[in-house]
Amino acid sequence: MKDLPIHILLFLISGAIVVAIGALFAEPEDDAALALLPRRLLGFFLGSAIVVAVMLICEHTFAAVS
Amino acid sequence: MTPSLATPRKGDPIVAMLLTWLVPGAGHLYLGRPRRALAAFVLIEGLYVLGFVLSAGLFLNLLPAEMRGRFAGVLTPEVGNLGALLVHLSRVGFLEQPRAWPAGMHLGMALTAASGVLNFALVSQANFDARVGESSPAQRGPAPGFAAALTWLVPGLGHWLQGRRKRALAIFVMLVGLFLLGVFLAEGFNLDRERHFYYWAGQFLLGLPAIAAEFLAGHARLDHDVAYLDAGVVLGCVAGMLNVLVMLDAYGWSEDRRLGDEPAPAPTPARSEA
Repeated sequence: MKDLPIHILLFLISGAIVVAIGALFAEPEDDAALALLPRRLLGFFLGSAIVVAVMLICEHTFAAVS
Repeated sequence: MTPSLATPRKGDPIVAMLLTWLVPGAGHLYLGRPRRALAAFVLIEGLYVLGFVLSAGLFLNLLPAEMRGRFAGVLTPEVGNLGALLVHLSRVGFLEQPRAWPAGMHLGMALTAASGVLNFALVSQANFDARVGESSPAQRGPAPGFAAALTWLVPGLGHWLQGRRKRALAIFVMLVGLFLLGVFLAEGFNLDRERHFYYWAGQFLLGLPAIAAEFLAGHARLDHDVAYLDAGVVLGCVAGMLNVLVMLDAYGWSEDRRLGDEPAPAPTPARSEA
């Protein structure tokens, strides 16, 4: 567990870059891409958090060995 | 939509693409552009042949025995130059007995892989040339395939030449930064094709930064535990794969310019009256 903050930081960095490149690809104009970015970042990280929560619940419910 | 500034198409785009995929330049020969065809053939096949000679054609022999098969080359950059890869495989398959790699193995593999990536850019250009023929001189700028090839070489370079300087810098900083973070985490042990055959293909899509990093720090002997090796491998590969999106963006922009379909300006936000 001591590595958890580093893993979260790496995920935040790589996720932010993935979303930013996606926004640039979706919008040919820089200003429009920039305007799109906050909403996309929010959607991506919120979606990721939901997936994490579901996985943790599944693990705790079906795969716990304690 | 503004009318197209290009002349009518010169041939079937699918035929031009398939011909180019099999033999670099063949698509342009089919489209009646022999000089461009010859230049592309000499450059791209030349890279492949030189790489083949330097590496003795052994790159697929880096794969462990359980991963060797008929389609092992499908996920390599070399597949972009399909004809050369097929001839290559018919000449040098998988060796029964292991042998020492030649001195020019790494450089040779970089050249054959570069030949494949550049031929993908040429395939896209052949498709464009078949669809639109000659574009108007008023719509000059880097050709779509050329913009994509430059963006492969240096992320953002195609955008820079298109005049999109801020976007170019942002792309370069993000992608090369992500790649270098991966190299830092993996202490450079993510860079060797022998160690990570298919991840190497992903990171190779980042172009010169990945090639330079590999030759500067990528071939050391792994003699200790690297705590974040896996994370570094993944981040380096993701950076390269994101560059494919960036290449498509550069291609699309140049295509729109040459077709006269310039992107609509962003809407001005409405101001509320006080």
